[in-house]
Amino acid sequence: MTDKPSGLVQGTLDMLILKTLDLEPMHGYGIALRIEQISKGVFQVNPGSLFPAFRRLERAGFLKTEWRDTENNRRAKYYVLTERGRKELKSETREWGRQITAIARILETP
Amino acid sequence: MSLRQHIASGLRSLLRKEQVERELDEELRAYLEIAAEAKMKKGLSRDEALRAARVEMGSVDAVKEKVRHAGWESIVESFGQDLRYGLRRLRKSPGFTAVAVLILALGIGANTAIFSLINAMMLRALPVEQPKQLVQILFHGWGGTGSHTSYPDFEDFRDRNHALSGVSAVFWLNPPLLDARLEGQSEPISGQLVSGNFFPLLGVHPAAGRLLTPEEDRAGAGARVIVLSHAYWMRRFGGEASALGRSIILRQTPFTIIGVAPPEFKSVTPGYPPDLYVPFTTEAVFHQPRTWLDQRRYHWVQILGRLKPGVSLPQAQADLSVIYQQMLEGGTKPDWSNKDREEFLSQRIRLEPAANGFSDLRRRFSRPVFVLAGMVGLILLITCANIATMLLSRAITRQREFAVRRALGSGRARLVRQLLTENLMLGLAGGAAGLFLASWLSSFLALMVSLGQGHVQVDLRPDGWALVFTLVVSLLTTMLFGLAPAWRSTRMGVAAALKSTPGILGPALGHLRIGKVLVIAQVALCIVLLFGAGLFLRTLYNLEAINPGFNRQNVILFSVDPTTGGLKGHQVADLYHRMLERLHSMPLVRSASLSAVTPIWGGGMNTEVWVEGYTARPTEDVVVHVNWVSPGYFTTLQTPHLLGRDFGPEDTGRSLKVGIINQAMARYFFGHQNPIGKKFGWTEDGEKREFEIVGVVGDAKYMDMREEPPRTVYLNCFQDELGAMTFEVRTTIRPASLVSEIHHSMEAIRGTAQLSNFTTLEAQVDESLGHERLIAVLSGMFGGLALLLAMIGLYGLMAYAVAQRTNEIGIRMALGAQGVDVLRRVMGESSLLVLAGIAVGLPCALLGTRLVTSMLYGLGSTDPITIVGVIMLMAVVALLACCIPARRAIKVDPLVALRYE
Repeated sequence: MTDKPSGLVQGTLDMLILKTLDLEPMHGYGIALRIEQISKGVFQVNPGSLFPAFRRLERAGFLKTEWRDTENNRRAKYYVLTERGRKELKSETREWGRQITAIARILETP
Repeated sequence: MSLRQHIASGLRSLLRKEQVERELDEELRAYLEIAAEAKMKKGLSRDEALRAARVEMGSVDAVKEKVRHAGWESIVESFGQDLRYGLRRLRKSPGFTAVAVLILALGIGANTAIFSLINAMMLRALPVEQPKQLVQILFHGWGGTGSHTSYPDFEDFRDRNHALSGVSAVFWLNPPLLDARLEGQSEPISGQLVSGNFFPLLGVHPAAGRLLTPEEDRAGAGARVIVLSHAYWMRRFGGEASALGRSIILRQTPFTIIGVAPPEFKSVTPGYPPDLYVPFTTEAVFHQPRTWLDQRRYHWVQILGRLKPGVSLPQAQADLSVIYQQMLEGGTKPDWSNKDREEFLSQRIRLEPAANGFSDLRRRFSRPVFVLAGMVGLILLITCANIATMLLSRAITRQREFAVRRALGSGRARLVRQLLTENLMLGLAGGAAGLFLASWLSSFLALMVSLGQGHVQVDLRPDGWALVFTLVVSLLTTMLFGLAPAWRSTRMGVAAALKSTPGILGPALGHLRIGKVLVIAQVALCIVLLFGAGLFLRTLYNLEAINPGFNRQNVILFSVDPTTGGLKGHQVADLYHRMLERLHSMPLVRSASLSAVTPIWGGGMNTEVWVEGYTARPTEDVVVHVNWVSPGYFTTLQTPHLLGRDFGPEDTGRSLKVGIINQAMARYFFGHQNPIGKKFGWTEDGEKREFEIVGVVGDAKYMDMREEPPRTVYLNCFQDELGAMTFEVRTTIRPASLVSEIHHSMEAIRGTAQLSNFTTLEAQVDESLGHERLIAVLSGMFGGLALLLAMIGLYGLMAYAVAQRTNEIGIRMALGAQGVDVLRRVMGESSLLVLAGIAVGLPCALLGTRLVTSMLYGLGSTDPITIVGVIMLMAVVALLACCIPARRAIKVDPLVALRYE
């Protein structure tokens, strides 16, 4: 059991969580599942990193929480992206894009 | 905004901890449920799904721990937890806690006490304006370094310098020079002559009335006014304002009290607070019959100056040196040889910062105090080693606890933090106890210091600096030396620690190795301290055992000054004769005599002499010590008569002036010739004085016990003008019991004369050895403390080693080993440690004690007796320390030991 999500560059977990929540508010398991599904199983996120990340993001004011019922009528804590979180996601995505392009350019240089 | 949120949210979690916890629990439970539901959809049964979800999640507690760590509040929180937990742990092992706190208290207490002493005597700045600008002048000549000069020299420095904004002269007035009376009663006080600009120079403001002004200190017209110290004002006048304007009679001259110095200003000479301040130019009142103000020969004035703003110490020194060189040039005589002139001119001055006052006390005590500081420093090291050993063995026994905690999700840093928190608590408790101990030890120190010559008064109450010092020392001791054990003991893998039984696991042996090194270090440091203590104790013993040339037992001393009562000329002599007669008639008095100076009083009089038939080179040291004594002086002090006769009634003011010399003087000036009948003398105030030698007596120490008896001449006091004298009374019983009787018998004949300063010769000699006793007693105490600590350290390690090896010993015994074999092993091991400690410690000790060679007497710094004694003491104590663990080892029952497996 590794502490970090497999193959995940440190710091990117926060961005992935924000991205996932950009679509709709979701509970913890849902977020983990979504990340795993979209990445086609490449990223497996365990609760040991997920929940501290929630706490961090909530502290930073990027997330709000509310208790809601799931589709199976179970109470769960849902995370909602705030306006600040949306801005943060945008800037992080932009930054990520720049880095990716830069890295790709370096790698492609013969 | 974000930071504020951070703090707010952190505080919320701290304050509403339970709610936050509950929410997290609920969230995690929901997570598990939802995960299980998802798995059930894939076809697993509910139980299987739940189990799979749990496996995926891992330890719930570990997750929670990680979440908690995401915010800053967790540090505060865990610190609180650590405190509570640590307190519980410490309470659970009261023995360990008590011993550790005690050890810390001893080590820290000793250090704080000595620091307070250094602080009070050497570091604390005077409570005056800009103390950093204050300087004093020191004089380096062939006679050594001194801070005294003549008044004309002072005037030259004052009037001709360009570097100082002010210069003040200071001189001590003590009884009998200062004979003070208030309302007809004699007052036992001390005072200082100071220049009129003394208080303005310091920038000190009065607590009442006003202070001296330069106008009151005009040459030849010193005003008869005095300023009281605050302490004396409170003591004698209860702080009443009515004291102002009253008169105190000093040497039959009334002085008016004009003001009181502020309470915080105690003295410019740390350790010696004067009761009153007198204008310098009233000096003639005290130096009767003749003033010293115009005498360049008498060096008695201390100089305190203040640097002009912007002038540095070296600049001022250069400026004053030029003046001093000119003064020296003026002092040379044309008939001197070139060599003598050069030697005379090579005298130098040095300016020293005086921010903490005149350095008398610093100079006198700096050596002993720094030696003591070194010793307590070593004690602190031993304490550290000891604490480290204890923490180490304790940490090992707790290894399983740590393993369990790590398995439950605790990080290693967290464990180390936990241990350090415990150390912190130990350190603070030890520091607090140490402070308590230090205040007690300080009063003892103050007593020891004040017992020496001159009755030093040191303010040893711990101040802010002492508190800071204690805090820093306690934290350093426990945190620094607790870090290594904490780090090591949390290092091992979880699985290994859980699997093994405490007692036979590998890493413990590694810990033992550190423990061994620590014990060797303790023994080595202990050897250094013991060796030092041994040398100082033997020095004190030697000094007390030497024959000073007189018998100090059963001699009462007391002083009389009939001149303050108005008696003159032969009246004084008559009074002395009557008193001596009366004393001789007392049944328990064997003999009685008079003298101007008593042995080992710490002061005296010396002069350059010419001797018949001896030609001295111009700069040859022909100084001899002088004493005026009555007939019977040598009998009373039991100094042997070697040649000639004693003084007798036949020597009168009108007959030939006679003197008796001691052996040292006879040997120096006459060699093997008979000195009887030869003449010697000197010039005093332009008047030639001449004496004929009528006797030779044995050598006796004059100023202190360390000196070689100096060349001394004794003159008949009844052939000279008589002033204040001291009586020596040899009694046949213990002297203390006769004091009141003597008082009583003198009552009828003493008239206006007062008897004062009752003491015994033995007490006077003891007092002169105050330093030596201070060092010997304290170093002895410190040596004992070191021994105790080393013993605890050795005992702790051996007890631990035996406990660790219970199984091993059991197996050995089961296989046929005898108790003796086991004993030999245990004792052999500890002996090796002690031997290693001695082998390391002894060279260090020999190296270290070289620094104190000059403080020893009658033995070298490599004194073999001390070496052997110290080693034997260490060996015996080490043996004792190992006894209990060894006994426990023999008592190991193989069956019980093996059943532990």
